[in-house]
Amino acid sequence: MDLYDLGPVGWVESQSIYHALALLGREGLILCYPTTPYICLGLHDDLDYEIDRQYCRERGIPLLRRETGGGVVYLDNRQLFFQLVLRQDNPLVPLRRHRFYEKFLQPALSVYRDLGMAAELKPPADIAADGRKSSGNGSGDIGRCVAYVGNILLDFDFVTMSRALKAPDETYRRHLYRIMRANLITLTDCLAYPAEYSRLTTGLIAGFQRQLGDLTPREPDAELRETARRVGERLTSGEWLDLPGRRPAGRKVKIAEGLYLLAQESVGRGRKLTLVRDGVAEEVMAGDDEMELALPFRA
Amino acid sequence: MQREKRAIPDDLFYDRNDFWIKVAEEAVIGLTDYGQGNIGDILYLELVPAGTVVRRGERCGSIESGKWVGSLLAPVSGMIVETNRDAEADPHMVNADPFGRGWLYRIEPADRNEIGLLMDSGAYQAWMEERICLEEKNSQGWID
Repeated sequence: MDLYDLGPVGWVESQSIYHALALLGREGLILCYPTTPYICLGLHDDLDYEIDRQYCRERGIPLLRRETGGGVVYLDNRQLFFQLVLRQDNPLVPLRRHRFYEKFLQPALSVYRDLGMAAELKPPADIAADGRKSSGNGSGDIGRCVAYVGNILLDFDFVTMSRALKAPDETYRRHLYRIMRANLITLTDCLAYPAEYSRLTTGLIAGFQRQLGDLTPREPDAELRETARRVGERLTSGEWLDLPGRRPAGRKVKIAEGLYLLAQESVGRGRKLTLVRDGVAEEVMAGDDEMELALPFRA
Repeated sequence: MQREKRAIPDDLFYDRNDFWIKVAEEAVIGLTDYGQGNIGDILYLELVPAGTVVRRGERCGSIESGKWVGSLLAPVSGMIVETNRDAEADPHMVNADPFGRGWLYRIEPADRNEIGLLMDSGAYQAWMEERICLEEKNSQGWID
């Protein structure tokens, strides 16, 4: 299997290369990170429901819609991406979709454990360390291939993520920030030293080699680059970004597997915010709650 | 490994994308019990509207379960005459009742000869078991 250990790539290429591989019917593993930040929507996300477009415009944060599942994510150079493309008829591809993660998250789990973190799979598709999400993942059929994409959070910009998401009011936004901060964990939170790219990729490559066999280092060739360029134009086009998607009643943000912050209006009682964990209301907050917690601003 | 029993009604035809097809004057199609089980809890369903002309094997909708998205591929060519908007609004219907309330489309087939390309229940059962065996074999040694 081909290995593309690309390191820093442009933000569009950080998504378009694996789409291009899949559309060309070529199998491979890509490791990379984007040089600049962007917002990435899942295939079925509704842009206007999910994103504060004005904030993104003012901050110069570009948008892209990928063809894999999962929700909106803020991505930048503090996240290492691992992207695996396999043909759908490859016997390594489990028929049961949840088993896909059970299998292909093993390399990332090994990396976390080698760093001394008690990481485990939170089905279907999160890695959790100390009960907090530490890796986001998604997959999707693209052409005759299936692409599985995930990341390792070296650090995370909670402020920008909570500001870029659409919120019914500032109280919701502040709770969103607080709950994300409490339920996500990064390598920076856990390690006394900065995690080096090469150490992480070495661990990932070793893990994927155990599952896929030998990996042959390659550079993207002209065909792959040209296909990626065309795919990138499509994934960032206004028409593609504006495709309608899921719009649940009330505002609902998924923070981790099984964890949602909901805002619901009730007649005569104003807005109520509910934090739901694994189907159970864990915390109910008044929408006009005067929180003392101020959302920090970036300098 | 304990295998779950999957319903495969005798009066339907099947394809290799785990669609069932009930053939009368029109065809009704949906995902099989085995197909919905492989996909897992369906969270989102995007169906094409009535009036859309589809060709066998081409995309006729999109589906999302726990962080996986995939295309629905038409089992026969024809014109969609009705889309199950109830299933679109509540995709869990496809998991809960795949041969009943979870149907997806009514189609007016364009080419009746395509029905001959589908599997009957016995052939689908054999094909499904072959895939289950293959997956069990390939899944050994997954976990580090």
